[in-house]
Amino acid sequence: MISTLTRRGFVAAGAAFPFALRNAHAQAPADVLRYGLSAYPPNLQPWVSTGASAGTVKIMTNRSLLSWGPKGELRPELAESWSLDGEGAWVFRLRDDAYFHNGEKVTADDVKWTIEQVASDRSTAYMRTQFQAIARVEIPDPRTVRIVTKQPLAVLPTWWPNYNMHVVWRGSKPNAPIGCGPYRITAQERGTAIEVQAFDRYYKPGQPRLKTIRFIAYPDENLRFAALQAGDVDIIEYLPWQSMDSAEADPRLKVLSADGPFMDILFNGERGPFTDARVRRAVAHAIRREEIVKAAFFGRGSVLEGVPIAPGTPWFDEELSRGWRYDPARAKALLAEAGVPNGFSTVMLSSAQFGMHKDTAEIVQQHLAEIGIQCELRLPDWSTRVSLGSRGQYEIAIHGVAADSNDPDGLAVIMDTSLSPTYSRSFGLKAPRTTDALNRGRGEFDQAKRVEIYKEMQRAALEEVPLVGLAWRSQAFGMDSRVQGFAVMPGALSLNSAGLLPEVSFG
Amino acid sequence: MLWFLRRIAVSLLLAWLVATIVFMTLHIVPGDPAELLMSTGGVAPDPAAVEELRERLGLNQPLMTQYGAFLMGLLRGDLGVSLIDEYPVLDEIALRLPRTLELIGVASLLAIVVALPAGTYAAVHRDGAFDRAASAVTALLLAIPVFVVGTLLILLLAQMLRVMPAGGYVPFAQNPIQHLTLLALPALAIAKGLAAVLFRMTRASVLDVLHRDHVRTARSKGLAPGHVMTLHVVRNALLPVLTVLGLHMGTLLGGTVLVEYVFNWPGMSTPLLRAVEARDYPMVVGIVLTISGLFLMINLIMDLLYGVLDPRIRTA
Repeated sequence: MISTLTRRGFVAAGAAFPFALRNAHAQAPADVLRYGLSAYPPNLQPWVSTGASAGTVKIMTNRSLLSWGPKGELRPELAESWSLDGEGAWVFRLRDDAYFHNGEKVTADDVKWTIEQVASDRSTAYMRTQFQAIARVEIPDPRTVRIVTKQPLAVLPTWWPNYNMHVVWRGSKPNAPIGCGPYRITAQERGTAIEVQAFDRYYKPGQPRLKTIRFIAYPDENLRFAALQAGDVDIIEYLPWQSMDSAEADPRLKVLSADGPFMDILFNGERGPFTDARVRRAVAHAIRREEIVKAAFFGRGSVLEGVPIAPGTPWFDEELSRGWRYDPARAKALLAEAGVPNGFSTVMLSSAQFGMHKDTAEIVQQHLAEIGIQCELRLPDWSTRVSLGSRGQYEIAIHGVAADSNDPDGLAVIMDTSLSPTYSRSFGLKAPRTTDALNRGRGEFDQAKRVEIYKEMQRAALEEVPLVGLAWRSQAFGMDSRVQGFAVMPGALSLNSAGLLPEVSFG
Repeated sequence: MLWFLRRIAVSLLLAWLVATIVFMTLHIVPGDPAELLMSTGGVAPDPAAVEELRERLGLNQPLMTQYGAFLMGLLRGDLGVSLIDEYPVLDEIALRLPRTLELIGVASLLAIVVALPAGTYAAVHRDGAFDRAASAVTALLLAIPVFVVGTLLILLLAQMLRVMPAGGYVPFAQNPIQHLTLLALPALAIAKGLAAVLFRMTRASVLDVLHRDHVRTARSKGLAPGHVMTLHVVRNALLPVLTVLGLHMGTLLGGTVLVEYVFNWPGMSTPLLRAVEARDYPMVVGIVLTISGLFLMINLIMDLLYGVLDPRIRTA
């Protein structure tokens, strides 16, 4: 057949050229998953908290005794079973077929060494405080770890799946921790991308399902979504709220989300007008939360009118969950009771670096003005915000955070006012009844009693107001519709969902 | 020669001043690198763990001790390591600087190739259709912020037509075509503003020179119009254009932040921004020092180029 070059043919070929180009960049081998991170991990130290993006990569290269399943349930990992013995100690039975990336077998000694590192006085681990509650670790045999705690500890198993808690080979050098995860890092460019490849001695049969995951950092949220739409990546975390509509409308994409992290108000409990719990309660009753959901999160979230206990969990109580509902008359009455019927002026700390922090602050500012509290906004960069917060250089502040887990004890890090000061808890504030209930709940093994204790904790917190809940925000992942096996975990665990990546494949 | 040595001495003094000012300012501004690192994502770190990290990073030492150590390192040509992951600052700069330079270089080249002929043509045919149209277009190009252009380009080419990747980077050695494809959009986004400025400068400058006496003399001597244009008009008109180009290229060294961010181009601006946010002191100081060093060098080169273009400067 002889082909003749016609003008029309030439134009058609020219028009088709860009699409030929597109194939070149958008097609990736079927066993490679390209994951759009919202930030490049600052570092990958297994126990140091360096954010959810770092957690995502760490949970690929490391494993812990237990993990979270798709529905937020505890699943066996290095431990194939766990139970409480007659003396109140936790006993973990290790599996026999887990290996570190250097070929060494995972043993009880490694688990013991890991606990000792995390709990040591020189530790920089996120779970340091928790693990310091462990009195001693016993190794009855190489596959059994017996953990004796200083006080009874019902919640100890929930500490293990945290993405800042991994079992590391006991011979590791400080700067080269050796893990036993389903993937190992094979390539890395600081600030840009990390590539991991399947570890051939991973203990779960058939996993990881994809040979390679390429993590690419897209700090700009709009570009992250653009990269997903353009087919440059297969899945992205932190799908921006403003893009959820178009992602849902795009037949090539799907969106999975859960309400998990939340926005709240923190107070200075040492000086200023908010030392009086009645003033704090007045603030709690002055906010129309649906406006925050609408304006700061494009309607992608839900109101939070009580203590941040996730709906659908056993600890959730419909009535208590509305304990701080909008009631301006009550707010005014509380102010009058506190001796400031006409309100006062104060400075509200937030940060302009993140839109949701700034938007939330502006709405709260307006609503507080309606009951007479005039707030001047102070919106420095995030670093300054953190510093001012930790030093208590504020009277009222806007914050956003997620609990450690869906167990109410996961809220301790946010609501336990006996812990040392940090920017993400109210400064110098005392909520003794709330703290007491949290302590009792942690040590109670009977589920029915725990539910009762945490309802008590909610009642106490509604009065003592260690924080004011504002809004749950939706945590969404956007992905190519061919991606199978991924799920968003419920509530506070939504940020842990990437732990399911070894189970992901292309349908 | 003496002039040259003196200039170098002044440059070094300036570099030390910059380093000191940046170092001191960073330490005075609120924000603790250890606490920030452990608070990534809004979580509450254990203050005892933060204290331990501060100790390890040497942040607990007196400021002057830290400054002294920094200066000693500088003398050895060592910019230190990142506080965040202990990555050597020099390695980071060596990796990223070429990419920013490539971006600026290609953008400048694009701008020059378009703006110089267009500006000259517009000046020669003053008030003609091209002149008016081009002036309107440059006004528009200058008025639209770079991030708007960037976002629009991505929306159209990557999201709607899906003919280009939505930003990113591939090394040239790995895939030249994809490298250039990815380079095209950010380079265009930077070139558009630069081209507009250069066009205006060239046009004004050529107009000015066209009416000078020596041009009239050259013409009346009967020199070929092309000869007059290239040797007597454009060459003389280039001086102010070069000044503007030099200044802009210097500014771009630290000013490609938005473009690099919008297109995910892993140049030097992004780590600088991230380092400032994280209060990663050694990284910030290292990158700012590099940028100011390059700025000083560009100024030096521009001075030398003036000499080539205008012999009067050489003899002065």
